[in-house]
Amino acid sequence: MALPMVAPVFPAGREPLPPGISEEERQQMEQMKKWQNVMTSGMESCVVKTAIAGGGGFALGGLFSLMQASFAYEDPILRQQAQAGWSQKQKAAEVFKEMGRNMWRSGKGFGKVGALFAGIECVIESYRARNDMVNPVAAGFVAGGILARNSGPKAVLGGGLAFAAFSAAIDLFLRRETPEED
Amino acid sequence: MSFLGIGGNQQGSSNGGVNRDKMELATEQLDMITDVYNRLVDSCHSKCISQRYTEGDLNKGESVCVDRCVAKFFEVNKKVGEKLQSIGPNAGGGGMGG
Repeated sequence: MALPMVAPVFPAGREPLPPGISEEERQQMEQMKKWQNVMTSGMESCVVKTAIAGGGGFALGGLFSLMQASFAYEDPILRQQAQAGWSQKQKAAEVFKEMGRNMWRSGKGFGKVGALFAGIECVIESYRARNDMVNPVAAGFVAGGILARNSGPKAVLGGGLAFAAFSAAIDLFLRRETPEED
Repeated sequence: MSFLGIGGNQQGSSNGGVNRDKMELATEQLDMITDVYNRLVDSCHSKCISQRYTEGDLNKGESVCVDRCVAKFFEVNKKVGEKLQSIGPNAGGGGMGG
């Protein structure tokens, strides 16, 4: 960016160096810039966004299930029958295994929801090349429909509408006008 | 876009006449490139970036839009150039001077 208001077009290999970089380090700087670009464009790609949302959903589901385990009620008589003659260590191990199974199941569910929604929203946004409220609402509708696919057409419609409304509410909150921070 | 004008200006300081011609050519070329660049930036900014700024980075939608906008701009440029070429070199020469 040598001259202001002039197109930043330079002969290849003779672009102006940023301050503090010498001519010998140009190669290294080019390499570093290339990898930085790969990282940023990777983070913005649909696949990575889906993976991050899925992973986050999985973690959140596991956490929820962990909290839920402390409130769970159960039938002590049935447990007494099933676990007759177990030692304390076996009973404790069984408790943790049950908790792990629930965490896995809940995490899978939340992860599916998150990955579906994020992936569909990213695809819709890439197709439309616009960033507005339509993307999350449509993505919510499709994701809700897919999640309810085994329960009949009315459930698909209802689930889609519900998820669309939910995601619209969340995105309205995320895009709200924040007060001036002066 | 040849950089023969811009890149070759480092030499030729001995022969004043030729240097001035090359300088003219290089200045004109730079002006044209700058004009195209400014039009491109203005056009794609007005088409793709919404008026409400919540952050400095481009969203996914905006960056996809800018990519497409730049590609389409050059496609349109190329197509119009081809059509102008087919009309005739006279029409093309007359239009370029203005």
